[in-house]
Amino acid sequence: MKTTSFALILLGLVSCTKTAEYNPERNFSNNQKSILTSFILAQDSSVIELPAGHFQFDKSLILEGKSNVTIKGQGKDKTILSFKNQTQGAEGIRVANCKNITLRGFGIEDAAGDNIKVTDTDHILFEELMVGWTGKVDSTNGAYGLYPVICSNVTVRNCIVMGASDAGIYVGQSDTVLIEGNTTYWNVAGIESENSKEVIVRNNISYDNTGGILVFDLPGLTQYGNNIEVYGNNVYENNRENFAPLGNMVSVTPPGTGILILATKGVKIHNNTIRNNKTIAVGMVSYALLEAMGGDQNTGGGGSREELEKQNQLDVNYDPYVGNIHVYDNTYENTYLLPNLNNDFGKLFLLKFGASLPQVAWDGLQSPNYYLADGSINPSYVICVNEAEEVKTVNLDASNEFAGLEENPAIFNCN
Amino acid sequence: MRSVLFALSFFFFACQQKQTKQTIIPVPLGTDQSITEQIQYASVGKTRLSDYGFFEGRLADLKPSEQVMPYELNTPLFSDYALKKRFIYLPKGEKIGYQEKNVLDFPVGTVLIKNFYYSARQLGNIADKILETRLLIHERDGWKALPYIWNTQQTEAYLEITGGLLPTSLQNKGVVHYTVPDMNQCKSCHDKSGTMTPIGPTVRQLNRKAVASDTNQMLLLADKGWIGLPDHTLPQLAVWNDPASGSLNERARAYLDINCAHCHNDQGPAKNSGLNLTYFETDPYRLGVNKKPVAAGRGSGNLKYGIVPKKPGGSILIHRMQTTEPGTMMPELGRSLPHDEGIALIREWIEKM
Repeated sequence: MKTTSFALILLGLVSCTKTAEYNPERNFSNNQKSILTSFILAQDSSVIELPAGHFQFDKSLILEGKSNVTIKGQGKDKTILSFKNQTQGAEGIRVANCKNITLRGFGIEDAAGDNIKVTDTDHILFEELMVGWTGKVDSTNGAYGLYPVICSNVTVRNCIVMGASDAGIYVGQSDTVLIEGNTTYWNVAGIESENSKEVIVRNNISYDNTGGILVFDLPGLTQYGNNIEVYGNNVYENNRENFAPLGNMVSVTPPGTGILILATKGVKIHNNTIRNNKTIAVGMVSYALLEAMGGDQNTGGGGSREELEKQNQLDVNYDPYVGNIHVYDNTYENTYLLPNLNNDFGKLFLLKFGASLPQVAWDGLQSPNYYLADGSINPSYVICVNEAEEVKTVNLDASNEFAGLEENPAIFNCN
Repeated sequence: MRSVLFALSFFFFACQQKQTKQTIIPVPLGTDQSITEQIQYASVGKTRLSDYGFFEGRLADLKPSEQVMPYELNTPLFSDYALKKRFIYLPKGEKIGYQEKNVLDFPVGTVLIKNFYYSARQLGNIADKILETRLLIHERDGWKALPYIWNTQQTEAYLEITGGLLPTSLQNKGVVHYTVPDMNQCKSCHDKSGTMTPIGPTVRQLNRKAVASDTNQMLLLADKGWIGLPDHTLPQLAVWNDPASGSLNERARAYLDINCAHCHNDQGPAKNSGLNLTYFETDPYRLGVNKKPVAAGRGSGNLKYGIVPKKPGGSILIHRMQTTEPGTMMPELGRSLPHDEGIALIREWIEKM
């Protein structure tokens, strides 16, 4: 009995890391024209009821400029929309310039780009959806699973998202967002909030991605992130090799990352269970460090300090540093002795910490405005970590070649 | 399924009741349109192109009737090497409002008529073949786009809101999968802050010699009393493939303006990318120079920046123009072939930056 379960666990581990593959049985029927017509002729307050069955499309289904429309299937494993043979458009479903839209109860697979993209829409609900790419997990899978961008009042609830070569659930440049109860796996980023504000990410399960939950701010966009709360999530075994196409921002996410905050202000991370992410449980980095650490193909951006200054010149409204971050009451566990070594971040960690890896790390890059005139830390750049005593936290002091690297630094004790 | 059928039958009966006598609508050859769909589509627009009366005589001759004027653009959008015959229909007594930068202010009732065809020479055939006519109709509550597909006898074009795929064999290019967009795809490009908007007919595009005479198109419009012109020199866009019409930079920017900027502008569908390719953008970073992609997905093609000066091969812009893979190619819609000559222009522009 014991040996059987041991073998099963081994098998499970091997299949998770090596042969992630999703090959559901599909019997497609040709309903493209009638379903397409129902999207085109939809009026305000229409309900587009998708029948049970497996349907294939060669182009995007678009909903444009409508209010109070519900698109519902007969269940996430009953109604399957496949875009495997897509020849036109990048998205599976595209919703644009709408108000109060519900997408519920269907599966969507294999879009050339994003499975569902929603843009310029107020009140959008994604619920009970199964979103993924079939076959082996790899870089030719489309970008995002669920992709609301420049939206307000976004809810993503009880969805399963897998196989995205970028983020499974990605919310970008949006305002007032709730991501809850979802399960994400086999993506590069399980869940990602980018340049979004008033965001709650709670009670999700994110495992076997490259990074579990990412909170990023990138330059040159319509708005910047703020007030993001990440709690009650179960984030474990996010050790998958990064399979994002290079050049892509998430392609620099180190495998083995639980939660990563990049250049964002106003983030609370608490009461999460963060387990067995090989490299780092919670990382807090500036825009520059990720760039510098992205591996050989990504080192064209120059030294970190120069890169930060450059980004600041390019976009004066962009602040490439992290700040106003509170990390507390999370549960950590890591039974791996070594970080993932296929990236600079992991190698650095091995070099600096050996087999005693930190759970929480800040790159230590300080804004020119890090200190106020009276010598205290500017509240905009404060990082507070209030975790159990055995949790190891570090300031890497990356801008000084790690000279001032400090374990459990006093600056984190700001409560 | 049942509910879809039910919805269809509802439309069918609803329309039948309104009609006093039953009309037989012929199903065009080469499409799989059914009578039910024709009746359904009647709620959206006229089902036959000839119903509008834009053209006189044989429809395929596209001989404009009164109030219909042909026009051309200095630098047009690339659409799989299809040629285009463009017309404006202006209701009698109406006037077009002059705009310096934006698309001209066309009054309600205006119809922009764009016919896509391949020439006899391209087809290796004895006659030209019209594939599609797209109408942009300015109604009281805004612009509406309707695609019409021509039948094989070239006697009529029928409204087909779901678009279509018309494989066509071209000399030198092989089979082109010419695609007629569906009604909703039209808005994917013609979107300005959520409002359907024409793209081509700006003064800078129309300021050129007319189709069939040596007169300037803008003067022709003014002579007809369709528009009032300011007394200063009118702006003019370079012709992308005519070096006599402008510098390399001007021609490249003209090409990007019409092929990319309908999405990549501050009010367009690609504003989330932070990339702005309009003719008037002066910030190199927003034009893509050393700008990292934000949401390019695998469109980034293992490259770091939109444009790397002097290195077209290292620029995402070129990569996305060259590929025909959906999800990676740009523009996202409207082509199944790379535009070799356009790519050569943009390559040269980047090489000489």
